[in-house]
Amino acid sequence: MLQTAFNGLVTGIIVTLPALAVTLLFGVLKFPNFAVGSMMTLAAYLVFALNVQLGWPLVISTAVVAVAFGGLLIAIDYVTFKPLRERGSITLMVASLGLGFVLENIARLAYGNTARSFAIELARPFRFLDIRMNREQMITIVVSTLAMLAMYFLLTRMPIGRAMRAVADNPALALVRGIESPRIIRWTWFIAGMLLAVGGVLIGMDRALEPPMGSSYLVAVFAAAILGGLGSPLGAFIGALVIGIVSELATLVIPPNYRIGIPLCVIALILIFRPQGLFGQPYIRK
Amino acid sequence: MSDILVIKELHAGYGEGDILKGIDITLPAGRVVTIIGPNGSGKSTLLKTLAGLLLARRGDIVLKEQSLRDLSPPRRVRAGLSYVPQEYNIFRNLTVLENLKIAREFMADRKMRGGTAISDELIELFPELPGKFKARAGNLSGGQRQMLAFACALTVHPEVLMLDEPSAGLSPKYMTDIFDTVKKVNARGVSVLMVEQNAIEALRISDTCVVMANGHVRLTALANQVLEMKDLHSLYLGDAKEEAVAS
Repeated sequence: MLQTAFNGLVTGIIVTLPALAVTLLFGVLKFPNFAVGSMMTLAAYLVFALNVQLGWPLVISTAVVAVAFGGLLIAIDYVTFKPLRERGSITLMVASLGLGFVLENIARLAYGNTARSFAIELARPFRFLDIRMNREQMITIVVSTLAMLAMYFLLTRMPIGRAMRAVADNPALALVRGIESPRIIRWTWFIAGMLLAVGGVLIGMDRALEPPMGSSYLVAVFAAAILGGLGSPLGAFIGALVIGIVSELATLVIPPNYRIGIPLCVIALILIFRPQGLFGQPYIRK
Repeated sequence: MSDILVIKELHAGYGEGDILKGIDITLPAGRVVTIIGPNGSGKSTLLKTLAGLLLARRGDIVLKEQSLRDLSPPRRVRAGLSYVPQEYNIFRNLTVLENLKIAREFMADRKMRGGTAISDELIELFPELPGKFKARAGNLSGGQRQMLAFACALTVHPEVLMLDEPSAGLSPKYMTDIFDTVKKVNARGVSVLMVEQNAIEALRISDTCVVMANGHVRLTALANQVLEMKDLHSLYLGDAKEEAVAS
């Protein structure tokens, strides 16, 4: 039971970074970006190219790709979402679905369907309080926790983070308070890109690199973001942990193949009983 | 006295029709101009257009001889025009201090960005705020929210302050406080353009009254003259004949 809970915790922690990216993008741009799964896949393959094909260390490869991927998402926004911004959230959501297909198939075209892995040394798992942990799990916990702390610092202590929260709260008021929303949108894509790149690498370490790797987390990512409250970074973090642990513990009573049903049930229940999620604000039409 | 804000033949609206049908208003420097009129006359639309939230279809907005027409809302703030909307005028999910900080953090002028978020001058005007710095702005009372919105608009040291129905929904105590604060702010040299339903209280602290109806300016007159008019009620309802009284 303890081991299962720990595995669930790690699964949840893997989901925190993409869930945070989803919630940041939703908060500022007001649409659910279903391309986040494929974005993680593409970023993971870019890291694979540097790490395995060029022989760079994984940490440096991830750092370089995280920054570059932030820039790439700004460019993708410029050609994909920006021209559609005035057409409303449904149009943007549909565009994100199309973009997801394109990005995943770019990865497939470049590397095929064969499962691949990063060039990392194998290490013997160790035990703590009867829980077996491997090195990848520890890296996942440490990296995700540091990323979450950095995000907390950014959102609460730095002007750009406060501006992102302000634009998410009330875009029209942000404009008349002197905040240039195009600049905030670019920063949001950049930060989301970094989170998704790191998230993609953590998924690639947990499993294998293959084109559907990011999409397979999509339901869990959205369940976490919706449970926490779309637009709430703290909610995304808590939501991800809850989804991970509950999904994993559920395998004690249901066959593991049906685990995917847990986040779907959570989405259904939360939308029926508390649509704003645990930490989100009730929607007010302005 | 020179005019700090000149609105010339302004047309704006939503969809196909115009709500503002050629508005001409001037705000002399250091004065308070209050716009009154019936619901739907275009008062709030006018302030939104001046703030840049709604596109002007025709006409011009000139602040200190600079046309604002093609400027984005943030650039208008930097030019010296600050706006307090009637509703949703604070960031509910940010703390009081964060609301005050953000109001000045994105100003191009470094002098304006620097220093503390709330100056001694602002503390004097809004003595309740420092005790609430850590509170979430969404948890404040209606009057406190209005005061916070007012303070945020002032942190950027505007030349012109636009207020959209600042007393709407407030208790009599806060209503008095709000108008007192408007008076104090104006005494410090800030020109004020205010839309207000509470005509009598607003006109008591105003220099000029503008009556709008159906997207037009129906009357421009000295505020004390309007207060003495016997048919103020019909004037407020927009029944006044089109006549311009020199202000």
